Amino acid sequence: MSSTAVPGSVGRPRGRRLPSRFKRDKWQALLFLGPAVVLLVGLVVYPVVYTIVYSFGNTNSRLEVTRWVGFDNYERLFTRDKEFLNLDVFPPSGAFINNLKWVVLYTSISLALGLLIAILAARVRYESMVKAIIFIPMAISATAVAIIWKFVYDPDPNVGSLNAFISNFGLDPVAWYGRADVVNYALIFAYVWASTGFATVVISAALKGISEEVIEAARTDGASEWDIFRRIQLPLLSLPVSVVTVWLLINVIKVFDIIYVMTGGGPGGASEVIAFSMVDETFTNGEGGYGAAIAVVMLALIIPIMAFNIRRFRSERVVG
Amino acid sequence: MSRKLMLPVAALAAFALAVGACGGDGGGGTAEGDGEITIFSLWGGSEQEAFQKVLDQFTKDTGIETKYESARDFLPVIRTRLAADNPPDVAIIPRPGVVAELARDDALISVEDLGLDPEAINENYSDTWTSLATVDDTLYGVVAKANSKSTIWYKPKSFTENGFEIPTDWNALLEITQQYKEKGMNPWAVGAQGRDNSWTLTDWFENIYARTAGTEKYTQLFNGDLAFNDQTVKDALREMLKIVNDRYVAGGIDTALGIGFVDGIGRVFSKNPVAEMYMEGGFVGGIALGEVNPDLKVGEDIDFFPWPQINTEHGNPLVGGGDVASAFVNNEDNAKLIEYLASPEAGRIWVSTGAIASPNQGVTDDAYPNPLVTKEAQQLKEAETFLFDGSDLLPGTLGQDMGTLLQNVIKNPGQMNSLLDDYQAQAEEAFAAG
Amino acid sequence: MATAEVTVAQPRATPAERIVKFITRSPVHLALIAISVIWLVPTVGLAVTSFRPRAEIQSSSWWSSLTDWSFTLHNYELVLDNARMGSSFVSSLIITIPSTLLPLAFGAMAAYAFSWVRFPFRDTIFLIIVALMVVPIQMALVPLLRLFRDLGIADWYVGIWLAHTAFGLPLAIFLLRNFFITLPRDLIEAAKVDGASHFRIFLKVVVPLSVPALASFGIFQFLWVWNDLLMALIFVQNSDLWPMTIRINQMQSTYGIEWHLLSAGAFLLMIVPLIVFFALQRYFVQGLLAGSVK
Repeated sequence: MSSTAVPGSVGRPRGRRLPSRFKRDKWQALLFLGPAVVLLVGLVVYPVVYTIVYSFGNTNSRLEVTRWVGFDNYERLFTRDKEFLNLDVFPPSGAFINNLKWVVLYTSISLALGLLIAILAARVRYESMVKAIIFIPMAISATAVAIIWKFVYDPDPNVGSLNAFISNFGLDPVAWYGRADVVNYALIFAYVWASTGFATVVISAALKGISEEVIEAARTDGASEWDIFRRIQLPLLSLPVSVVTVWLLINVIKVFDIIYVMTGGGPGGASEVIAFSMVDETFTNGEGGYGAAIAVVMLALIIPIMAFNIRRFRSERVVG
Repeated sequence: MSRKLMLPVAALAAFALAVGACGGDGGGGTAEGDGEITIFSLWGGSEQEAFQKVLDQFTKDTGIETKYESARDFLPVIRTRLAADNPPDVAIIPRPGVVAELARDDALISVEDLGLDPEAINENYSDTWTSLATVDDTLYGVVAKANSKSTIWYKPKSFTENGFEIPTDWNALLEITQQYKEKGMNPWAVGAQGRDNSWTLTDWFENIYARTAGTEKYTQLFNGDLAFNDQTVKDALREMLKIVNDRYVAGGIDTALGIGFVDGIGRVFSKNPVAEMYMEGGFVGGIALGEVNPDLKVGEDIDFFPWPQINTEHGNPLVGGGDVASAFVNNEDNAKLIEYLASPEAGRIWVSTGAIASPNQGVTDDAYPNPLVTKEAQQLKEAETFLFDGSDLLPGTLGQDMGTLLQNVIKNPGQMNSLLDDYQAQAEEAFAAG
Repeated sequence: MATAEVTVAQPRATPAERIVKFITRSPVHLALIAISVIWLVPTVGLAVTSFRPRAEIQSSSWWSSLTDWSFTLHNYELVLDNARMGSSFVSSLIITIPSTLLPLAFGAMAAYAFSWVRFPFRDTIFLIIVALMVVPIQMALVPLLRLFRDLGIADWYVGIWLAHTAFGLPLAIFLLRNFFITLPRDLIEAAKVDGASHFRIFLKVVVPLSVPALASFGIFQFLWVWNDLLMALIFVQNSDLWPMTIRINQMQSTYGIEWHLLSAGAFLLMIVPLIVFFALQRYFVQGLLAGSVK
């Protein structure tokens, strides 16, 4: 509706609303936002600030600050804490390194499996059943996942499914979560089991967006399945893949429950990760300031991922 | 989803805030109690049942209700509750190191502040025991239970059948070990899995170290005055590896690190045993009879002998443990409970369950229900030298880390030196911070 | 080109052709079936174990019991009474329901403001709130403990309700705002013209139209809180009030792994999420997809 210039109407809100309505808008906005903002500022923003400040101090066993030590906690974290980062051995070890293992293996395997299953399942009629089976572990708690897999990994072949399986091939039972050299992979794979469903569903939804006609046409033109995958499907998957990757990476930094329940960080701290270290240092060791520094490190690692996500969110069409 | 729902939600929230704000408070000053005491410790299972009997009698005597809580992660729970000013009334703390730490941070109420007389509390305890509950010359609680860790459990029938005699020195024990193996049996079982069971290895080490390096060095080591990569430590570890190795432990080290200590007991004393001897403290008897195999006949199927000497000049010190009951909140109810736990009466009830031996000298031998516990109590009373479980004396998580250290040593004996160096670095930090 | 439309019927594939198609497809079938089996084995194994008598669990494998067929409900009895899973179940409910309804209500209100109310810095504030979605709980554990202590609410459920609500708000606001702005503008404008206050519009127009989005968030948040371990560990201090996730962890007793108890407990822990999932799968997946940054 074209508007002819009416003198005096420039600057007034569109329509025939009175300015006082506009002011009332603001009041009502405050009311609507009020509870949420109060909670967010009080229970999220304030703790973030508090923790950052706290990380520059040392605490007593009641988690009260006894003295301020500047950056000492951070220095200690990266240079003097062999359980967190040990660069004196090869390959390096420590909670930080464990998270790197998670980043590489957990992310790539979940993605690869998700992709594989999405593509394969699309070709059969029982597709939704397969996807449901793969997705179910996402609904249960990480605690339950830890227990389910602790059972699978049990060192007694009469109990643990995995050891029973390999004993069929004449192999000796392995202490999957009892051995420092294997435990991380055991944990990672258990969590992959729980997370692949997400990758599958997201990628599957994206694949469905690719019109069947295009694919049929390509097939009639003689393109092989592999060509179809590489030339048509893959390029259109960059968005869903990035969505899944972001989700997986954030999971890696936050992963806690499954380790706490299955191994408690053991054996000997071999399966600790950053999120676990924070809780351990703060609540078992009583080193609140040190734990706060670890929490800040967690935040620092997540921020780039979050920034990337926001940029993507702004540039993409809003997902409804 | 409409006004209909929002009103109840808002009401619920308001109600909750109101009720919650009237919840329990932190306390301060010797106030009157509220008639109920929360007691916190990490025992579950049969140990919990035994303790509950003591609490029940307390309630009968005083009319004060008690509520027992337990958690596997003792320290984290205590810390979170302290941080939130919501500590339990009384806690039974398994490590004197932790008692010291908490006392120094003003988290515990000293016996005097509770309105009790430290002399009266200590009447029935020898100095060794009271020193555990004493921090900087102030008494903070009472030693609630004690156990000997210098016991080795075996099957008397098996010994007789194989012509073995109770070893009085280390070489004899090694000899028996070897002979069992030659006869095709597994001489030992060990259960040292994960975070929760690694302490069994520390008991092995402590018993050996006390006998190879002596009482003085033992005290120095666990006080932080002697380095953990000292030669004496390495020597003790080498002795330990003479038994705790793939050859003599059922299932090898991998199994040892894969099963818990109750499973380990089961390997020797269950209905399908696969091994002959098990090293752990006096409480093994209670667990074996109570949980693993109630059909065991004491004296035939199960018994213990004391740790043999290794280096005769160091004799046979007793390594043992004890838990300290301490109050976090200052009120009359808690004071009464602490007083009660220090009394011979409480001790008698407790030991009658067969779960513990009491360090309380007022508890006579006839209170013990079975010969095993009586024997342990005697061992405790007659010990010439008593050394507290070293790993429990260490500050922070250093004790836990020692278990980890030993797990790594038995898995990779070749790396002993570097492992000890790393642990020493950790120890230095922990002792400096504490 | 103008020709008479002739529908050419596709000839039905001959049996031979169908067999060929199946065989070339069969690696796909095999792979999918193998994967599905691997995916199911862990859960099924534990579920079956939860019905087996204690002594048998240690002595024979769980799949052999499928042929032996000696099952019992005893483990569940033990777990519900002795191990107090029954009361923990109730605790989980008490924790989860307000922790779902509160962020839903407050989040919807805030989302509405971000969608249909004009105020300065609206988009910036929205972006900040969205950014808060990734703050790890670890940053808030100690500060909130202190805060709850100062407010005197540390020993009941109020603390954890507030914590879950606060941490659930960013996702709620994100998800719901994105949905609200897709609602037809005319409807809202019309109501405004009729003199309706924002409050009325919110309740009578927006909310009824948004049930799918509200359900998506609600279900997602419900499962998230039900399955939570860390927050409960720190904020639910009284052991009487422990939810199932904590209780199950405690069942890994100092005495070794008692599978007969643990399996039944784990299964109880899983039942509610599984039911919710199966009944409301669509909503859950939607919630997950839309909030794929939490």
